[in-house]
Amino acid sequence: MNQRLRDPLDRALGSLPRDVAPQRDLWSQIEADIAASPRPLQDSAGPNNVAEFPSNEPARRSGFQSRWLQLAAGLLLIVGSSFATWVVVQRSVDQKVLQAQQATVQQMQPVLNAMPASFGGNEVLGASYQKARADLSAEFERRVAKLPPVTRARLERDLADLRRAANQVAATLGEHPNDPLLQQLLLSTYQSELALLGSLNNVSTTVVGADL
Amino acid sequence: MLSGIGAIEQPASSDVSASAETTLIVAARAGDVRAFEQLYKLHVGRVLGICLRMTHRRDLAEDCTQLTFVRAWRNLGAFEGRSAFSTWLHRIAVNEVLTYTRNHGTRLEAETQGVDDAHLDQESTDQGTAPPGSPDTGEVMDVERALATLPEGSRHVVVLQTIYGYSHEEVAEMLGIAVGTCKAQLHRGRRMLRERLGLGEFEP
Repeated sequence: MNQRLRDPLDRALGSLPRDVAPQRDLWSQIEADIAASPRPLQDSAGPNNVAEFPSNEPARRSGFQSRWLQLAAGLLLIVGSSFATWVVVQRSVDQKVLQAQQATVQQMQPVLNAMPASFGGNEVLGASYQKARADLSAEFERRVAKLPPVTRARLERDLADLRRAANQVAATLGEHPNDPLLQQLLLSTYQSELALLGSLNNVSTTVVGADL
Repeated sequence: MLSGIGAIEQPASSDVSASAETTLIVAARAGDVRAFEQLYKLHVGRVLGICLRMTHRRDLAEDCTQLTFVRAWRNLGAFEGRSAFSTWLHRIAVNEVLTYTRNHGTRLEAETQGVDDAHLDQESTDQGTAPPGSPDTGEVMDVERALATLPEGSRHVVVLQTIYGYSHEEVAEMLGIAVGTCKAQLHRGRRMLRERLGLGEFEP
């Protein structure tokens, strides 16, 4: 057993809930205060050491603020939609069939794990990722063809949306290759795409007999 | 080419949530208040927990929590995702508590009522749903009260390190103290907690 778990003091401290719910509405005051504040990008170097990494190109940043907003708003919708699809698909998993497929899923794991850990300024996706993506895409297309039309359309639409979003983020990243948040956003989009592709591997086509 | 191929966990809802959080951050950076409200909802519990355990006064902790999010909004442009958003937010929260302490010149008076109330609220929520073997509310309150009696420096270190899982280096940076001081405060705080909770020295 982990030593920290055996120490009664650590156990006692570990029993404390980390989150505490507010007893009053804190948001309304926050909202009022931020309504009177400059927008985040106009005030990037804050006091008290909260400026994580001071920006060295503030003018360029404000220039593509609207692009950020468009990307973010679009991605929020797409990720939300994909997540909803993912949840619905996952809920249709038949546990017995899932157990029977475990071996197959485990075989797919190394492929799913072959994700880029980080993005550098001018780097593009590596061969491992491309292969994983191609394999999963092929498997996805094979499986999705057996699904009912409405389910298939929904999955294909989500996948197309994610790929379009990834292309948009990648294009923006091409203009701002050293922006870490944009790099992270692109990585998240690729991960969402792989998650959607991989989701069908856990679903038996025999149990998805009805449209979702 | 992307040479750094690292492992990620099996794609799951947590990955999708991480994507969603990143997207919310980007939207908030671009001025979307509704996205920032979602970030607030995701993180307010943890931020308030830190402030409450550092101050042991609910009114003050809630004030510091509000200031934390206002400051976070104002400085979102400086957040570039090189650390976890939660870590960045918690650093601001610690700053707010320390600033309050400095401005008022005296140590915060330990008061456990606010923390006790939080646990009583939690107990009424959890009734009948807590897993077997979970510590009861009375035990948890005893730990909170013992924590509240610690000297401020030790309490801050114990809270950030033992409860919220930050490393010596992270805690030292957050509190603006040397790593050695952090270790000494932790040792002192843990020794005092053992005494106050009637726990013997642990021998692995």
